[in-house]
Amino acid sequence: MKRKMAAKVIAAGLVVAMTAVGLSGCTFGFASDPDDPNEVEEEIPIDMSVDSFQYDSSLNGTSITLLNSKAEIQVALEEMGKVFEEKSGVHVEVMPVTDGESPYTKVVSLYNSGTPPTLSILDTTDVIALAEEKGEDLSGENWTAEAEDYLTKVNGKVYSFPLCIEGRGIIYNKAAIEEALGEEFDPSSIKTREDFTEILEELVAAGVEKPISVAKEDWSLGAHLLQYIYETYDGTSAGAQEIIEEIKDGSLDLESYDRMTGFLDTFDVLKKYNVAKADPLGADYDEMAIDLADGKTVFWVNGNWAWPNLEEAGAEKEDEYGFLPFFMSDDETDFANQMIQGSPSKQIMMDGQMASEEEKAAAREFLNWIVYSEIGQQMLVNTCNLIPPFQNNPYEPADPLSRDIYEKVQRGEAFNASAIVPNDHWSVLGAAMQKYLAGRSDREELIGSIEDYWAEQE
Amino acid sequence: MKSKNKGKDFGIFALPGMFCFFAVVIIPFIYGVYLTFTDWDGVAEVKNFIGLANFQKVIEDHEFWTSMLLTFKYVILVVLLVNIIAFAIAYLLTRGFKGQNFFRAGFFTPNLIGGIVLGYIWQFVFSRVFVNIGESTGWSLFEASWLSDPNKAFAAMVLVSVWQLSGYMILIYVAGFMGLSEDVMEAASIDGASGWLKMRKIVLPLMMSSITICLFLTLSRAFMVYDVNLSLTAGGPYGTTEMAAMHVYEKAFTSRQFGAGQAEALILFIVVACISGLQVYLTKKQEVEA
Repeated sequence: MKRKMAAKVIAAGLVVAMTAVGLSGCTFGFASDPDDPNEVEEEIPIDMSVDSFQYDSSLNGTSITLLNSKAEIQVALEEMGKVFEEKSGVHVEVMPVTDGESPYTKVVSLYNSGTPPTLSILDTTDVIALAEEKGEDLSGENWTAEAEDYLTKVNGKVYSFPLCIEGRGIIYNKAAIEEALGEEFDPSSIKTREDFTEILEELVAAGVEKPISVAKEDWSLGAHLLQYIYETYDGTSAGAQEIIEEIKDGSLDLESYDRMTGFLDTFDVLKKYNVAKADPLGADYDEMAIDLADGKTVFWVNGNWAWPNLEEAGAEKEDEYGFLPFFMSDDETDFANQMIQGSPSKQIMMDGQMASEEEKAAAREFLNWIVYSEIGQQMLVNTCNLIPPFQNNPYEPADPLSRDIYEKVQRGEAFNASAIVPNDHWSVLGAAMQKYLAGRSDREELIGSIEDYWAEQE
Repeated sequence: MKSKNKGKDFGIFALPGMFCFFAVVIIPFIYGVYLTFTDWDGVAEVKNFIGLANFQKVIEDHEFWTSMLLTFKYVILVVLLVNIIAFAIAYLLTRGFKGQNFFRAGFFTPNLIGGIVLGYIWQFVFSRVFVNIGESTGWSLFEASWLSDPNKAFAAMVLVSVWQLSGYMILIYVAGFMGLSEDVMEAASIDGASGWLKMRKIVLPLMMSSITICLFLTLSRAFMVYDVNLSLTAGGPYGTTEMAAMHVYEKAFTSRQFGAGQAEALILFIVVACISGLQVYLTKKQEVEA
């Protein structure tokens, strides 16, 4: 009997422990999903009164599909599709790529099952991989003239529609800086790494102990940060390609490449003032947004896609957030210290293999509608909250991060360089960067991994 | 009479099943094997035959072998811990005390939560709850997130898998214990066997059939672990907890080397098939009838 009792007590204890841990997720509540497509946002009303777009009535009743790999605009795209259908009679079915599924895998499996989407929103690398085999040549479209600088060409032909510009750098929270320092903060006064370090020191002295957030995510470290070493070669995509070729064939010594050392010097500064310095790989993305919005930190190395997170963390559209460039040197005249990186990241590719002529025509009309109709222009900027790459689009983005990039693009303070790297670059070198961030490898090892990675590529 | 209907019986009873089995298992498998000899990238129209070049790539892929080694370590730990814990708890839960059905259900619950969700729950526990506990108590064990240290992240993987899998195995062991004949137990007691001796000489041999199935299930599930790996550590920190199945997926879909990834998947399949086959053969030999 006594034994039975003991067994019971042990078993009861174990069950309690197990369920308690299981339930803790619910009691504490999860941080919200950064890309929550169901998020309710206050909407900017779309003015439907003026629409000079010429609709082709013969397309009435056609149905096209659009594969969306940008989860945060799923709802907005559906809305756009609905408005477009009302106007043109063309039905647009927006298919989401779910979390944990890669857009490329999704589109390839759809092709292999014989039902490819008429249009697919993809990353530039994916477009390049698929264009010649599957894509429709869009070189002759009128909108190519409106976004000349932002077109991606594969062997001289345009296969994709640039959907938006995205930019990245060091996000600052102006109010938080001013509150800490007690003086006006002028972002344009920070011109070099030295200036940046100086203001960091001032902030530390003023009580902001760890002023910077650095995301530990491999896509952030491997793609958004490390790629500066290619993209700041001369600030053009062609230049980035050139330097990659040189690294590949071994003719460039990364150890002595000034952009490599410049990048790492700045990265070391970020490491030093990182809010998660004690455990950099335990940093939480959602918490960084909260820290920045609350003023616990004042800088966050990220891009304009961070806005939904910031907004969720309590930032308002009227707040002053903006970008500092990712400083690469102490030279004031260095373009990398004056401009931030802003380039088209998502592209729409049209299926040229399975789609019927009618579907292609309808898809063409949809793309034209985004560029040329007053409603499409508004919806791209206000409903989807994207930065339009088309110069004829007069609407300005509403959130401070996108607006800052938009203004910098207009003023010529942004450079448009996107390095085309193999698809696993972010994950393989992201891991190498994580190791360096955690202080578990030195520069030599990191540079070694970069060289090894490129040596393996064909 | 019998032979007359053979074709019809086969057509009615076996053919539909066979057809499905071939359509979704055998043919894709053969096709998959065929792909390992081609340079197909998942998109191209043409598939060029390149012989054993993909297997050559697998041999040169050090990360694959590192992840295989890690998977072996993981499998050994998980299989041992799950079976020992499940066996012990099942033993406790068949002692006949009041409310044991409630406990059985309680232990089984983690198994009802899908691997992905489970991974996210535990990720929260390891990187937030534990760190908070560490901050308020000063315990160095919980100072930093477990998931940011290679060894602790691996331990976290094992812990979560054991927590999840144990419930299922408890159920099978409980069924095994319930099936033990009272007569045999009583006879053993009368013959003077008690405690450890009875466990070793009577209970264990009679439980062998449950052990066979539990070992098989834990072995194959541990080898093929992907969901918990993905949602809990995502292979991190810096790729140190990437198990074989995850590496195969990354190879095929992130690095876009379909051929090499497929070849690695095939090798993983052969390894798992051999090991579980051997295990079933060995433990089956130990099975006895009461």
